[in-house]
Amino acid sequence: MATKKSLVAAVAALTLFGGYVAVAQMPTPDPKMNFFVTSVPIGDGGNLGGLAGADAHCQSLATAVGAGKRTWHAYLSTQARPGKPAVNARDRIGKGPWYNFKGEVIAPDLAHLHGDTMELARLGNNLNKLTGLTEKGETVPGLYDYSDARDNFWWYAKTTPYSNRHEMLTGSQPDGTAFTDENDHTCDNWTSNKDAAPQPAGGRGAIGPGPGRPNAQIGFPDRNGGGNGSWNSSHGTRGCSQESLPGTHGVGMFYCFAIN
Amino acid sequence: MMTKPHARIAIVCVSLLASCLVLARPGGLAQQAPPAAQGAQPAPAGRGGGRGGAEPSPSGMSFFVTSVGLGKGGDLGGLAGADAHCQALAAAVGAGNRTWHAYLSTQARPGQPAVNARDRIGTGPWYNYSFAQLGQPQNAIISQNLAELHGDTLVQAQRGSNMYKQNARTEKAEVIHGIGDMPPIEHEILTGSQTDGRAFTDSADHTCNNWTSSGPGSAQVGHSDRIGNANHSWNSSNATTGCSQAALESTGGAGLFYCFAIN
Repeated sequence: MATKKSLVAAVAALTLFGGYVAVAQMPTPDPKMNFFVTSVPIGDGGNLGGLAGADAHCQSLATAVGAGKRTWHAYLSTQARPGKPAVNARDRIGKGPWYNFKGEVIAPDLAHLHGDTMELARLGNNLNKLTGLTEKGETVPGLYDYSDARDNFWWYAKTTPYSNRHEMLTGSQPDGTAFTDENDHTCDNWTSNKDAAPQPAGGRGAIGPGPGRPNAQIGFPDRNGGGNGSWNSSHGTRGCSQESLPGTHGVGMFYCFAIN
Repeated sequence: MMTKPHARIAIVCVSLLASCLVLARPGGLAQQAPPAAQGAQPAPAGRGGGRGGAEPSPSGMSFFVTSVGLGKGGDLGGLAGADAHCQALAAAVGAGNRTWHAYLSTQARPGQPAVNARDRIGTGPWYNYSFAQLGQPQNAIISQNLAELHGDTLVQAQRGSNMYKQNARTEKAEVIHGIGDMPPIEHEILTGSQTDGRAFTDSADHTCNNWTSSGPGSAQVGHSDRIGNANHSWNSSNATTGCSQAALESTGGAGLFYCFAIN
């Protein structure tokens, strides 16, 4: 009898074990997931193929984890051009509430997400290091995660998935709208992979916008960096090439929201 | 004797299952064969040896979170007791030459006006005791001034300050354990303040009876890790369930508070 009991226990454990392996290999997002951080960049710097290319990246990453039935949009603004009005990131993402991979709420609505009133802005939304997950449920490495001087270089970041990469392209102001000045804040509306000048040795070119400077505004899902905690509008980049983005700890990832 | 091998198989299977549960935690990019973790609390003295310039030091510090509370819940001995605690902790690490005040509000009482935490802490800029991540080697900045710290304009409020988990350090340069860290979690920091850094004006208790109660009452707290209660507030996220030490600990607090040097 004792033998039989042990066998039963072993079989039960094996069954459970087998079942869990399947889960471990394919973590599935909560059915409510309608927000994620892209697990990988497109890989051509600030050239995302415009908004359409960025949206398609969101959609394909979502599809790969079984969340493709929703319509996904990238949280990106574009700046006005002759005959073409600006597009505001906040107008592209539906109304919320938005939930992450685990089904945790990021924000109940646009006003909470962006802090549309003084009180909402001071309180802030629920996007943080632990909730700013990719479509695969991964946290995004940031400051203090395996900090290494080489994490300012694409050759290192490319092959080191745990290196600091917490800068999300947004091209937006803190309220989620497009910039209205003459400078580039969107890598030429997400079509440019250029830099103003070759990155100097050490990868430490000038940061931020300026006349003739390809540049993108970024924010942090872990709310750590740039002297402020902005998730969507902390500072600019050193340029728009894939090589220049790690110079401030980004690789060209961005936020995706489902509008339905 | 016959049962033993089977029992062993069962044990092995259960162990495998357990390790699998651990491995299967979604968590990430950071789990893909990273090097030995540096941990969440890099000691400031251990970094930057090759960077030259000024090392961060307690004397360069004008902000810290108390490494320990006073142990009596919300009874801090009033503002005077809390200030003395800040001063003593600072003095113990060689930063007693500054004048330290606790970031705490008190509510109005008959014949006694309210005190706003933001009016007690000088004008900034404030620095912690850790290495700045960017720029010249120096103590890391918390905030430039009162307006940025509290978000006095809409854009300032939306952007926030440099007060974040790894910057909200104790006088010993330790990071306060927050959500997701090893217990005990001590991230609920007493403030008794509204989000703008001012005292509450209603009749409810938000200050453990102006920091004299270790029993009934409640205190408003912020989160040093900026995580909790579905918001991001460092100084006014939620209310405690009581003022005893046990009540504070039951919701992830320890009776810690922020200290700022006014000079």
